[in-house]
Amino acid sequence: MVDMESKIKQLIAAVLNEMGVENLELAGESQAVAVTEPLTDLTTEDLREQLLVPEPENREAYLKFKQATVSRIGIWRTGPRYLTRPQLRFRADHAVAQDAVFKDVSTEFLKEWGLPEIKTRCADKDEFLTRPDLGRELDAENATLLKKSCQEKARVQIYVADGLSSSAVERNAKDTYQALVQGLKGHGVEVGTPFFLRYGRVPAMDAVADILHPEVTVVLIGERPGLATAESMSCYMAHNATTGMPEANRTVLSNIHQGGIPAVEAGAHIADVVKKMLDQKASGLNLKK
Amino acid sequence: MAEQILSVGIDIGTTTTQLVFSRLTLENTASLVSAPHIEIVAKEVIYRSGIHFTPLQTEQEIDAGKTRALIEQEYQTAGITPEQVQTGAVIITGEAARKQNAETVLQVLSGFAGEFVVATAGPTLEGIIAGKGAGAAQESKQRGATIANLDIGGGTTNIAVFRNGDVLDTACLDIGGRLIQLRDNSGTVSYISAKMGKLISSMNLPIAVGQRSTAATFAALSQRMAQVLEEVLGLTPPSAELQMLLTDHDLRRDYKIDFVSFSGGVADCINPLSAGDDYQYGDIGKILGQAIADSKILRQLEILPATETIRATVVGAGSHTTSVSGSTISVSPLALPLQNVPVLKLSPEDETLPIPLWGEAIRKKVQWFNLEGEKQNLALAFKGPNTLSFDDLTTLAQGIISGMAEILCKTCPLIVVIEKDLAKVMGQTLRSLLEFKKDVICIDTVSVENGDYIDIGRELADGNVVPVIVKTLAFNY
Amino acid sequence: MRLQTRISGATYSFKDLNEVLAKANEEKSGDKLAGLAATSVTEMVAAKEVLAGITLADLRNNPAVPYEKDEVTRLDQDSVNETIYAELKNLTVAEFREWLLSYEVRGEDIIRASRGLTAEMVAAVAKLMSNLDLIYAAGKITIIAHCNTTIGEPGVLAFRLQPNHTTDNLDGIRISTLEGLSYGSGDALIGLNPVNDTVESLVNILNLFQEIKETYQIPTQNCVLGHVTTQMEAVKKGAPADMIFQSIAGSEKGNTAFGLNASILAEAQDLMLKEGTATGPNVMYFETGQGAELSSDAHHGVDQVTMEARCYGFAKHFNPFLVNTVVGFIGPEYLYDSQQVIRAGLEDLFMGKLTGISMGVDACYTNHMKADQNDIENLSVLLGTAGCNYLITVPQGDDIMLNYQSLGYHEAATLRELLNKRPIPEFAAWLEKMGIYEDGRLSRIAGDASLFFRK
Repeated sequence: MVDMESKIKQLIAAVLNEMGVENLELAGESQAVAVTEPLTDLTTEDLREQLLVPEPENREAYLKFKQATVSRIGIWRTGPRYLTRPQLRFRADHAVAQDAVFKDVSTEFLKEWGLPEIKTRCADKDEFLTRPDLGRELDAENATLLKKSCQEKARVQIYVADGLSSSAVERNAKDTYQALVQGLKGHGVEVGTPFFLRYGRVPAMDAVADILHPEVTVVLIGERPGLATAESMSCYMAHNATTGMPEANRTVLSNIHQGGIPAVEAGAHIADVVKKMLDQKASGLNLKK
Repeated sequence: MAEQILSVGIDIGTTTTQLVFSRLTLENTASLVSAPHIEIVAKEVIYRSGIHFTPLQTEQEIDAGKTRALIEQEYQTAGITPEQVQTGAVIITGEAARKQNAETVLQVLSGFAGEFVVATAGPTLEGIIAGKGAGAAQESKQRGATIANLDIGGGTTNIAVFRNGDVLDTACLDIGGRLIQLRDNSGTVSYISAKMGKLISSMNLPIAVGQRSTAATFAALSQRMAQVLEEVLGLTPPSAELQMLLTDHDLRRDYKIDFVSFSGGVADCINPLSAGDDYQYGDIGKILGQAIADSKILRQLEILPATETIRATVVGAGSHTTSVSGSTISVSPLALPLQNVPVLKLSPEDETLPIPLWGEAIRKKVQWFNLEGEKQNLALAFKGPNTLSFDDLTTLAQGIISGMAEILCKTCPLIVVIEKDLAKVMGQTLRSLLEFKKDVICIDTVSVENGDYIDIGRELADGNVVPVIVKTLAFNY
Repeated sequence: MRLQTRISGATYSFKDLNEVLAKANEEKSGDKLAGLAATSVTEMVAAKEVLAGITLADLRNNPAVPYEKDEVTRLDQDSVNETIYAELKNLTVAEFREWLLSYEVRGEDIIRASRGLTAEMVAAVAKLMSNLDLIYAAGKITIIAHCNTTIGEPGVLAFRLQPNHTTDNLDGIRISTLEGLSYGSGDALIGLNPVNDTVESLVNILNLFQEIKETYQIPTQNCVLGHVTTQMEAVKKGAPADMIFQSIAGSEKGNTAFGLNASILAEAQDLMLKEGTATGPNVMYFETGQGAELSSDAHHGVDQVTMEARCYGFAKHFNPFLVNTVVGFIGPEYLYDSQQVIRAGLEDLFMGKLTGISMGVDACYTNHMKADQNDIENLSVLLGTAGCNYLITVPQGDDIMLNYQSLGYHEAATLRELLNKRPIPEFAAWLEKMGIYEDGRLSRIAGDASLFFRK
C-alpha cells in the first residue's frame, strides 16, 4: 500500500514537474506544508515552453518552432477533444479578457496617480459597449469640469481613457506616461494636465481637443482584449484634433503591453512621434517619416 | 516601403579569392498601427566574381597589392563603388589566415571595400558562415534536423553542425585539397604543408617535395584524410591523427547527425562523375574528392546537396553576416559606425539581482576588463527584465552610469546592447541622466555573448535600425 | 402592397418595405444602433405578419437600395432569370417559406429557383423562418464548387485552416499550419489574414504555403487574404495563389469603403483563371458579416440581414469557391450576445445557400461580447447539421492576430465524427496516407505537428 502511494506521488510529482510546477510539495505530507505551498498561476505558464504531445516525432524542432508564435500549439488531445489543462487555461484567459472589458478602472488607481475623472455621455458599461456614438461625446457638465481641471492650450495634452480594457490602462498607462513626459522634456516640450476619461472611445479625443485646444492630443486607451493578453493598450495621437476631422489624421501605436512593445519603451517612441507632429504640424497620413 | 542595402562578401582563401555583392531587402513587417519592426526579408546575390587564384608573394605571404587590385577590378566589372556598399565582411580563410601578413591584407581591403565592411577571421566563424552560405542552417530549420556542413577548401575543412537552424557544434581540421601541390601533370610535388608532412610520415608514404609520386600514393593519403573526416563525424573510432589535424577543438559527437552537406572547392570533386584530369588544379583536390566519395560518409549518412559549394563562404560572408537591431533604438548618429567592440555581458545570476544592485555588478565586471587606451571601448550587454516600471528603469540607468564610470570619463560613446525591447527608453533615460553631454548608443533585440565582438553601422530605414554584425570567435567552449 | 396590420388590438403601420424588412428582424443590436429595429417584440411580429403577405414581385420591384444608385442592386437585378422569376413572382413570402420547407420541393428545385431570386427575397424569407426552419431548409441545398478539390458534396464537412500570426512570422505560420494539418483541418483552404498588406509579404507567405503543399503533396488550396489589388500584384509577380480573396459589402458605397468594385473583382477573377495556380473554375473567396455596411455608414437605412443577403447576390456573380460570414467578429454593437450570433450564423448560412453560393461560416466572437466558446461550439453543431460547406479553425480557437475566438483545429475531427461527415475526398485520402486519419477518424499520431519533421 505504502509503496503504491509513494509511486503515485512520484508520478504526480513527475507530471507536475513536466508542467513546470516547481517545488510543489504534495498534499498529505503535512498540514503546514500544504498551506504554504507555492501556487502556480494558470495564466502565467509560458505556453511557448509547454509541449503536451506525449511522444512527439521531433520534440526539439516542435519547441523551436513554438518559440515563433504564441498560438496554442502542441496542446495534444484526448480522443478528438482538448486536455483539461489547456481547456482551463483557455477559459481562464477568456475570463481575464472579459474582466478587462466589463470591469471599471478603479478609483484607487486614479486617486494614487491623482488624475481628475471626466465621463462621456454613456451611463454605464453596457451602454458604452452598444452605443459607440455616446462614448465620443461629453455632456455640458463634464465639459465644464474638464475646462476647470486642466490647463488650456497646452502644446501636448495627454489623457487616459478606459476604452475596451480597464486592465490595460491600470497596468501600462502610468509607465508610458512617465517615459513620454521624460522624452518630451528632452525635446524641450512641456505637457498639459493629465486626466482620466471614463467610458471613452477614441474619437472622444476630438471633443476633448475642442474644449482644451492643445496642439497635439494624446490618449492612452485600453484595446479590445485578445486571449494572449487582456492588457494591451493603444496610443492615439492627433495634431489640432477637432470633431469631424478625417480619421486619417490620427496616428496610432497599438500593442503596448509586456509581450508587445513594453509600456516604457512605447512612451519613448511616442515622445519622438509627438515631436515630429509638432515639427511638421501634422499627424496621421499627413505625417512624413 | 522596402529599403535595399548592398552587402559585399570577400573571401580570400588558401587557393581562391572570390567576391559577391548581395542585395539585402529591409522591410517593416509590423502593421501600420504597431511600432516599427524592421527585418531583413530577402537576401539576393546580385553579382558573383570569377574564382581567382589568391595572389601570393611567397608561399607564406598573400600579395596585398595584387589582391587589392583584383578586388578593385571586380568592383569595376560589377559597376559598384565602395561608397555604395553599406555592409559586408572580408574573410581570410583556411591556411591563409595564419599567413604572416593577413592583418595587413585585411587593413588594405577594409578601407577600400566600403566604410562598414569589416574584417573577420577565426575557424569557428568561418565554418558557420560557410554552413549558412551552403544553405545547411536554413535546411536544418525547415527539416527540424541536425545537419553537418563540411566546407572543404584548399587549406582547411571547416565543420559547422546546425540543429533547427542554430549552431550546435563546430570544428576545424587541416584537411584540404591544396596542402600538397604539384608542379606539373606528372605528379611531381612542389609543396607539402607541415601537418601533411606529419601525416605522410605516419603512413610511411613516398611523398616528398621535388619527387614524383604515383596517383595510387596520393589516393592512399587522401583515403586517410577521408578516414579522419569519418572519425570526426563518429563513423570510425578516433585516432591520434585526428587530434593532430584538428586546428582547435574536436566535435562533441554526443548527438545524432541526420544529414551531411559538402561545400568548398573540394565539394565539387566529390561527385563521382566529375570530369577532367586528376591533377588539373595542380594539387590533390580531385583525388581527395574521390576518396571522400568512396568513404563511409556517403555510404552511412544521408547527403544533402548544398545550395552553394565553392562559393559557400563568400555567399555566407555577403548575405549572412549582417543582421539588424530592434526598431525602436536610441543612437547618437555621429558616433557610428563602430567596429570590433568587445562585449561585456552580465551573467544570468547578475540579472536576477534586485535592480538597485545592478550598478555594482556592472562596476565589478568592467574592472575585469583591462581598459587600455582612450579608444578601447566596450559594449555592455544584458537580457533585461521581463517587466520594467519607469521607476525601475531610472534606477537601472543610474546603475549603468555608475557601473560604467570608467567608460564615461573617456571620449568614446556609452554602448548598451539589450535583448529585450527597451533600448529607446533606456537610451532616452541615460541621455537625460547624463544631461545630454555624452554620446549614447543603445540598441536592442540583439543577442550577444561574452567574448563576442560587435560592429554597429550607420542608421538605416529612416533611422529606425542599425545594421549589426556579431562576431563569435568561440562557440560553446 | 399592404403595409399595416393589427395585433392584440393595436394597429402597426410601416412607411415602406425597407421598414417592414428591418422591423421583421429578430433582435440585433446593430439594427438598434442604426435606429431601424422594432421597438417591441409585438411590433417585430407585426412586421413579420406584414412581410408574410408581401409578394416576391413586390420585393423585386422595391430593391432595398435604388437600382440607379447602386451597383450591387444592378448586378443582382440584371442577373435574374426572368422565366424562373415569372414562375415565382406571385408567391407571397409566407407561401415561398412553405414552398422551401415542403417535402415536394427538393434541393435541385431550390437551386433552380434561386436563379429567379433577388437578395431582398432571400432576406425576406429568412426573416419568417425559425432557427430550425433555417437549418432544415439550408440542409436541403447542396452547392458544389471546384478549385483544386471539390467542396460541398453531401456527407463532407470541410475546414479552413487559419494560421494567423501577429507579425506574419514565417516560422510561426509554418508550425500553426502543420499543427492544423495534423488534426485534419485545411481541406477547404489554408488561408492566412496577413498583418502586412504588402506584395512582398504576400509573396513570401504564398511561397511558404506552396512549399508545404508540394513537400507533403497536399490536395487543397491556398490563399493569403490581403486586399484584392495587393493579391493581384503578387500573382502578377508569379506568387503561387490558388484563389483571390476580398471582403465585400452589400452596397456600392460599402464596397467603395473596402476599396473595390465589380470591375476590379472581375479583373481579379480573370487574372486567376489565366495566371493562378488552381484548376478552377471557382477561384474567388469572399468574406462578409452582418453590420459591416453600418460600420462604414453605407447601409442606406437598410437592416443588416438584408444588407448581408445583398453581399451574397454580389458574390454569386464571381462564381466563388468559398464565401463565409465572419459572424461574431464585428462586436456587441452589431450582435450583442450569443443568441444574436447564433441566429445570425444560421440566417447567413441559409441565405448564402439559397443564393446558390458555396457557403461557410466563421463561427466566432470577440471578448467584448456576451458570448463564450460554448456558444460557438453549439453554433458549430447547428451549422454542421445544416449542411455548411466549411467552418474556420485556428489553434484552440484563439486567433492571436485578429484577437477573437473561432473554432479550434480539434473541432474539425470532433464535428466530423459526431455528424458522420468526412473531409473532402482527396484530402481524406491524403490524411490516411500520412497516417493522420485511420478508419475515418484521428489516428494515434494525429495532433503531433512534428510528424512533418519526420526524417
